[in-house]
Amino acid sequence: MFEPLRPWQWLLVAITLAALAALPLLSSNSYVLHVLILSMIFGIFASAWNLVTGFAGLKTFGHHAFFGIGAYSSALVALHSGLSPWLTIWIAALIATVAGLFIGLPILRIRSMPHVAIVTLGFAEIVRITISNLQSITRGELGLWGIPPFESFTLPVLGEMKFTPADKAGYYYLILVLLVFSTGLITLLMRSKSGLALVAMRDAEDAAESLGVNLTRHKLLVFGVSAFLVGLAGAFFGHYIGILTPSAAVGPDLMILVIAMALVGGLGTLSGPLVGALVLTCVVELLRDLNDLRLLIYGAIIITVVMFLPKGLATLGPLVRRRITYLRAPTTSPAKHL
Amino acid sequence: MAEAPMLRVENLNVLYGDFQILWDVSMTVGAKEVVAVLGPNGSGKSTVLKAIMGLTPVRSGKIIFEGEDLTKVPTHEMVARGISMVLERRRLFGAMTVRENILLGAYHRSVNKNTASRLEWVESLFPILAERRDQIAGRMSGGEQQMVAIARSLMSRPRLLLMDEPYLGLAPRIVSQIASIIQRINQEGISVVFNEQNVHLSFGVSHRGYLLESGRMMLTGTGEEMIHSDVIRRVYLGV
Amino acid sequence: MTFSLFIEQIINGLIIGSMYALVGSGIALIYGTMRVLNLAHGEFYMLGGYLVFFLVVTCGVPAYLAIPIALLAAFLLGALIQRLTIHYLLQREGWAFSTIAVTLGLSIFLQNSALLLFGENVQSVPYYVTGIVEFAGVRIPMQRLLILGVAILTIAVMTYVLKATRLGWAIRATSQDRDAAAVVGIPASRIYLITFGIAAALGAIAAAMMAPIYAITPWSGLPILFKGFVVVILGGLGSFPGAIVGGLLLGVVEAVGVQLTSTEWRDVIAFALMIAVIWVRPWGLFGSKS
Ligand SMILES: Nc1ncnc2c1ncn2[C@@H]1O[C@H](COP(=O)(O)OP(=O)(O)O)[C@@H](O)[C@H]1O
Ligand SMILES: [Mg+2]
Repeated sequence: MFEPLRPWQWLLVAITLAALAALPLLSSNSYVLHVLILSMIFGIFASAWNLVTGFAGLKTFGHHAFFGIGAYSSALVALHSGLSPWLTIWIAALIATVAGLFIGLPILRIRSMPHVAIVTLGFAEIVRITISNLQSITRGELGLWGIPPFESFTLPVLGEMKFTPADKAGYYYLILVLLVFSTGLITLLMRSKSGLALVAMRDAEDAAESLGVNLTRHKLLVFGVSAFLVGLAGAFFGHYIGILTPSAAVGPDLMILVIAMALVGGLGTLSGPLVGALVLTCVVELLRDLNDLRLLIYGAIIITVVMFLPKGLATLGPLVRRRITYLRAPTTSPAKHL
Repeated sequence: MAEAPMLRVENLNVLYGDFQILWDVSMTVGAKEVVAVLGPNGSGKSTVLKAIMGLTPVRSGKIIFEGEDLTKVPTHEMVARGISMVLERRRLFGAMTVRENILLGAYHRSVNKNTASRLEWVESLFPILAERRDQIAGRMSGGEQQMVAIARSLMSRPRLLLMDEPYLGLAPRIVSQIASIIQRINQEGISVVFNEQNVHLSFGVSHRGYLLESGRMMLTGTGEEMIHSDVIRRVYLGV
Repeated sequence: MTFSLFIEQIINGLIIGSMYALVGSGIALIYGTMRVLNLAHGEFYMLGGYLVFFLVVTCGVPAYLAIPIALLAAFLLGALIQRLTIHYLLQREGWAFSTIAVTLGLSIFLQNSALLLFGENVQSVPYYVTGIVEFAGVRIPMQRLLILGVAILTIAVMTYVLKATRLGWAIRATSQDRDAAAVVGIPASRIYLITFGIAAALGAIAAAMMAPIYAITPWSGLPILFKGFVVVILGGLGSFPGAIVGGLLLGVVEAVGVQLTSTEWRDVIAFALMIAVIWVRPWGLFGSKS
């Protein structure tokens, strides 16, 4: 259960981080940075979705709502109030959290997985259509543009951090910090007493309940944290891309992409969604010329992974494979759906 | 026994995941015999019957019925082999009527001829079910539901009937009614294997018994032999 | 708005609702028998529409022949998809989620296959019947009445099949208790296969009937899937009669709701209704808590 990393695993994490941090110094190729920035945005999104779905066992399919809420809130607040994006992304993440708690509450009353899936999908559709319809505020599908970028500042060693389309180093470091923050938060959460309860409820809700674990509180906590992180990723996305449309920021395609990432990397693992985000973002870029085939290939990837690699790429590496398991409890077999 | 038994279970091993539930379980059932499988809750009684019926995959061992190995036969073909089962807690089709439930017992192509005479025979065993035929099965009392479940299992006129805890949750009056029904069924020439936790209840009607403990067959014999055995006293009284 | 116009809107709501009912009842049948939430169900509708379009417009087959062929093709496609994916997943642990995930993958896979095959142009099929029926100031096009007629016929046939045929009994028994059904000789995997095919065909009937009045695009499955979900939540997930009533109800509520607001809010009204129902009666408006 999220036991501390072994020395060699710490080493691997440290090397990866060092390599990621050093990369902009070695290559200022803004295309490479762009791909990595997107990977990290989706990495946060996929990890946060995995927190709810893989660790807590609440199968939701509507997290793109929080991404869109985060993106639009931060962009609109920054546009209209003149507040700095440095501040508005946190405001937006909090707004997404509130939305998460709002939809989380009814979901907690529901035991049936399909109902949860349907409600969360429906909720996200409501958010998308609402954003799309409120054209006077969001400009609908025409796109909300002119979103202010982050203000630049100067760091001792690295020099001036600029946030411009030409110089992406600033964005790169910021999202790297946010990714580390998000992964750290998820790890801490999973190591806490709540984490134990969460995994318990994933594997055997009845058993956990009979042990007197208050599931509602823990589920709400997870849902809130997850919505917060997704909202944060969305907010960053808005300022980074500079233009938002409902279909790009809250469309079902986005959720499908993220689900594919988590599945490919390995659901219920810590690093799986990160690996999946990197792999699939690169695949997307490689397929740029085959734009029409992109979604077709996602579909095929999801089907293939579910059918043949049920644990994702996690099956392939020990660090990724460290799947948390809970003590064996009688599980219901598919044969008995009573 | 000179003749080969009707059912012979040999060294049956069953696992759920990595958990071994049955360990080298062996037993036999002769033609026209009533056999009780005893054991405390969780000892694996249901698993034995489910394995015979193909409801649970078997890791190793043999289940020979009338000369044929059943371990690869799917559950839905057992009726055609002459085996039927009353599942634990009755498991009726709760939203369907009594009549529909009973008729479904003769669903399989091998037994769906002469439905009328089968129904007549079954309703002669349970006259009350003819009166209640249009009632929704799920709304009946536990005892009546158990009768529907038995009636359903008899519609295929099996040669071997497996019954998983037929007395479970029933009032004493109903229990003795079900016991006499088991005897009636046996008089019709049907072999019966039933599970039961309570030693005394099971020996009212059975010829022989087996004792399961933690997935292992500990003992076999007639009721008289078993009731006085030390093993029974240890398993049940913890002596 | 005049009263007769209002009545017209209600009747139109019922007619669209009858199509929602067909789509929803397919989702309900699949969920009811194998506890699988089929996220690819909208694509059965979408492909049904293209099949009819292909046969009627491209090949010039008359509609009364084209529609049955499309239904058969949809049945076979549904059964094939079930056999190749769901069938295996149901035998594994974690099937409740893996089946949802695989149907999600299937959904975008089929959507984009249609995009490749048919392009992104909006397609439609000519009216099967023309003319308008007028009664007491209420005017309804024949085409819409035909839709309603076909829906009623389909529902009647399905009700008969479920109530009175060997297959129907087997489907109902399997959906209530798969093990008990297997014990009496009903092979669950075959029933699942057939049920999936029937559900796909129900989606294709709806698509065939809607093809003349709603455009066919590779993306027309998704909105109808969402409508189907609302329907099964209203009617109680897994209940065939519930889905029928839920579909009609949704059609009428949308028609009235759109009158009170505007067309863009149609889907929001539907989802809000669904979330409200889940909040107060998660087992559906008509089912019983069990
Ligand atoms: N589907 C299952 N998955 C995992 N373990 C099971 C399952 N069914 C039964 N068991 C376990 O197998 C053991 C034997 O169960 P069972 O055969 O039902 O016992 P009995 O009928 O004697 O009460 C029990 O420990 C039970 O917890
Ligand atoms: Mg038992």
